[in-house]
Amino acid sequence: MVKSQLFSKASMSRDLTPILRRVMQSGTIVALLVLILVFALIRPDVFLSLGNVRNILEQVAILTIIAAAQTVVMVVGDFDLSVGTTATLSGSTTAALMLGGTPVPLSVIIGLAVGTVVGMVNGLLVAYVKLSAFVATLATMTTVGGLSFIVTNGVTLYGLPEEFYWIGQSRPLGIPMPIFFAITVALIVWVVLKFTTLGRRWYAVGGNAEVARLSGINVNGTRFLAFTVAGFASAIGGIILVSRLGSASSAGANSYMLLAIAAVFLGMTIIKSGQANLGGTLVGVGIIGVMNNGLNIVGASTYIQQVLTGLIIIAAVTLSALKKARDA
Amino acid sequence: MTARNAPSTESTSPAATPALEVRDIVKRFDGVLALNGVQLSVQPGEIHAVLGENGAGKSTLIKIMTGVYAPDSGEVLLDGEPVELANVRTAHRLGIVALYQELSIVPTISVAENILLGDQTPSRGGLVNWRALRKGAKLQLDRLNQRIALGRLAGDLSPVQQTMVAVARALATDARVLILDEPTASLSDLETADLFAVLRSLRDQGVAIIYVSHRLEEVFELCDRLTIMRNGETIITKRVADTTVDEVISTMVGRSQGELYPPRNTARGEAVLAVEGLNGRRVKDVSLQAFAGEVLGIGGLAGSGRSELLRLLSGAQKSSSGTISVRGVVLPHVLSVGRALAAGVALVPEERRSQGVILSAAIQENVAVANLGSVSTAGWVSSGRITDLARRTVAELQIKARGPRQPVGQLSGGNQQKVVLGKMLARRPQVLLMDEPTRGIDIGTRAEIYRLIRELVASGTTVVAVSSELPELIGISDRILIMHEGRVSGEVLAAEADDEVLLAYCYGRVA
Repeated sequence: MVKSQLFSKASMSRDLTPILRRVMQSGTIVALLVLILVFALIRPDVFLSLGNVRNILEQVAILTIIAAAQTVVMVVGDFDLSVGTTATLSGSTTAALMLGGTPVPLSVIIGLAVGTVVGMVNGLLVAYVKLSAFVATLATMTTVGGLSFIVTNGVTLYGLPEEFYWIGQSRPLGIPMPIFFAITVALIVWVVLKFTTLGRRWYAVGGNAEVARLSGINVNGTRFLAFTVAGFASAIGGIILVSRLGSASSAGANSYMLLAIAAVFLGMTIIKSGQANLGGTLVGVGIIGVMNNGLNIVGASTYIQQVLTGLIIIAAVTLSALKKARDA
Repeated sequence: MTARNAPSTESTSPAATPALEVRDIVKRFDGVLALNGVQLSVQPGEIHAVLGENGAGKSTLIKIMTGVYAPDSGEVLLDGEPVELANVRTAHRLGIVALYQELSIVPTISVAENILLGDQTPSRGGLVNWRALRKGAKLQLDRLNQRIALGRLAGDLSPVQQTMVAVARALATDARVLILDEPTASLSDLETADLFAVLRSLRDQGVAIIYVSHRLEEVFELCDRLTIMRNGETIITKRVADTTVDEVISTMVGRSQGELYPPRNTARGEAVLAVEGLNGRRVKDVSLQAFAGEVLGIGGLAGSGRSELLRLLSGAQKSSSGTISVRGVVLPHVLSVGRALAAGVALVPEERRSQGVILSAAIQENVAVANLGSVSTAGWVSSGRITDLARRTVAELQIKARGPRQPVGQLSGGNQQKVVLGKMLARRPQVLLMDEPTRGIDIGTRAEIYRLIRELVASGTTVVAVSSELPELIGISDRILIMHEGRVSGEVLAAEADDEVLLAYCYGRVA
């Protein structure tokens, strides 16, 4: 009897819905606050110090940019597995060009263009060739990942020009430059999603592509643009990473893909309709960033960090799925 | 004439026990009566047609006979014994098999595997016995006199071959009652003849066949007896030889219309929509005109091209040739919904939940989606204008909602339909296309929508409406075009129309 009540979905949605909904809607934000509290209690001297807060923000800056890119694609109802390797390829292309003597601004522009082109290819395959986003972006992820190795010859590229370091290492007002870039990208994406007809079109296509089409929206063009924007934003993230590290490796930004998807999924749980949204994504990024930083400070191994990141993704996806099941 | 509820009195051989019999079946959905005391009796070695208009209850009856639904009351007898059809598997095991066009085969595996699917697959210790599989499959195809390569992928077969494979599978499970629902919908005349030969040979082997079709000619060619359903009741069962097409049509028809429809009090103005030689996938060479101040109704059977015609006109589907013009202005040949809307042609689509509204989004978002131009300046949306527009829509159409921010999924079907209508009316279309304007909507909201259509027409809008319900078609239209196999088969003034004439056109018969 007890068991059947526990496991029957119907009884759960009937009895627990109001409580469950509240916990889940604020749950992700509560989780962030709890994480902060726990680490602050364990290491009160270090965790909340100005220096460490600046550290956390600097560490999550690039993830913020790539997660913003992922948010756009997921608003449209697709997802992009290639954002990580696209960031890597853009960064390493820029580095390789600079080492070959190309002026810094031109190298950066070409790096951005490379990412944009990858995004356009994704958009073409998904919107016009009608491949599933999974297959199309898995393929470009693999292809682009291989191209990065070709560009870098499989070695880490050092000795980049001094003026390039301005992007990732300068500290205006004592604040690391990547934070400014992250805020700018996040702000632009938020404004576009919230206040422009393009944002409305993206949400409409993600809500129901057929309804959007029959309402006069150019669905294919809209999806194409979302992937293109994601490619461009990923390129920004990849180039900043190379500048911050002072080197370009052949797989440097690849791991951001999974973290970005996790962040967006976490963010989807905080609004009622369960859609991807930038505010939620930032909360998701915050959870991942605080956890990694906190575990570092308490001296947990990177292996444990990886396990916990995986568990967080499971928790996020489960929450989203529960929300969807309940709404249906 | 036989009295209702006693159809078995005309059975061909009264002594024989029916292979399948249903008695006094009643079925309600959410309190709505779908089947009301249905009687059906099918003899072994008989092909028995079940006829009726859309919504008469044929599909529900099939689903009860195959264990998909349980009846609220009444019983199903197999060989004279009452049986409990708890689910599809039970019905299958007892030998009652229904063939649906699209569900009948697995396209990605071979013909032989399809014929001996699941439990029927011969195996030894968990491994498929391929030799026995091919032998068993061939045996069934031989019974049907069919030569289909056993190794081919079922998905590569022609529609009639796929149907044959499905029939062969039914035989492999020792089916004794075979139910076919519109089996010839995608078959050519030649293929249909082929299928009929097989069905006749199965009949002669003692299989009981229930044949559901809209195509009366086929019923008269193939079937031994027929049962006509109307409004969830079985009206009559007759030997096919003892009746005529006209008698069948007039029996299928026959309902009161009530005061649901507002009077046709609008004067017809100049031609607004003109279509010349329009072709699509089903639609063939359609030309028509629709006038200001007029509701043009489009009727026809499912698959006649009536819905496709609206989709072509609205840009939802590309036409292969033909021209569409609005007040003399020719629309672009490569039409999109956006271009059609810009030219003043708007579509309220057939499927509300999958085509009309984003269920998870608020009313105001749904209205805005079709009106982004009017709520924005240079690409920047004004949330104030979005809310204003939604408020106006809610007020004008009297949508019952808490406010413009309420998710559409929480509204009743009728109010959802009003949202779809409202978002298109906000575009102030010159031509409003409506596909099934009141499907699945309560009677009160239906009356409101009918009144609204009349008001629109009075203000000069041209309405073109498709409906599968003849009373609705007659009730809302000024003029009616009937489509049959992609072409316009007849034109009638609604004031002079009756169901029989329209049905005759629907079936492609010249009245």
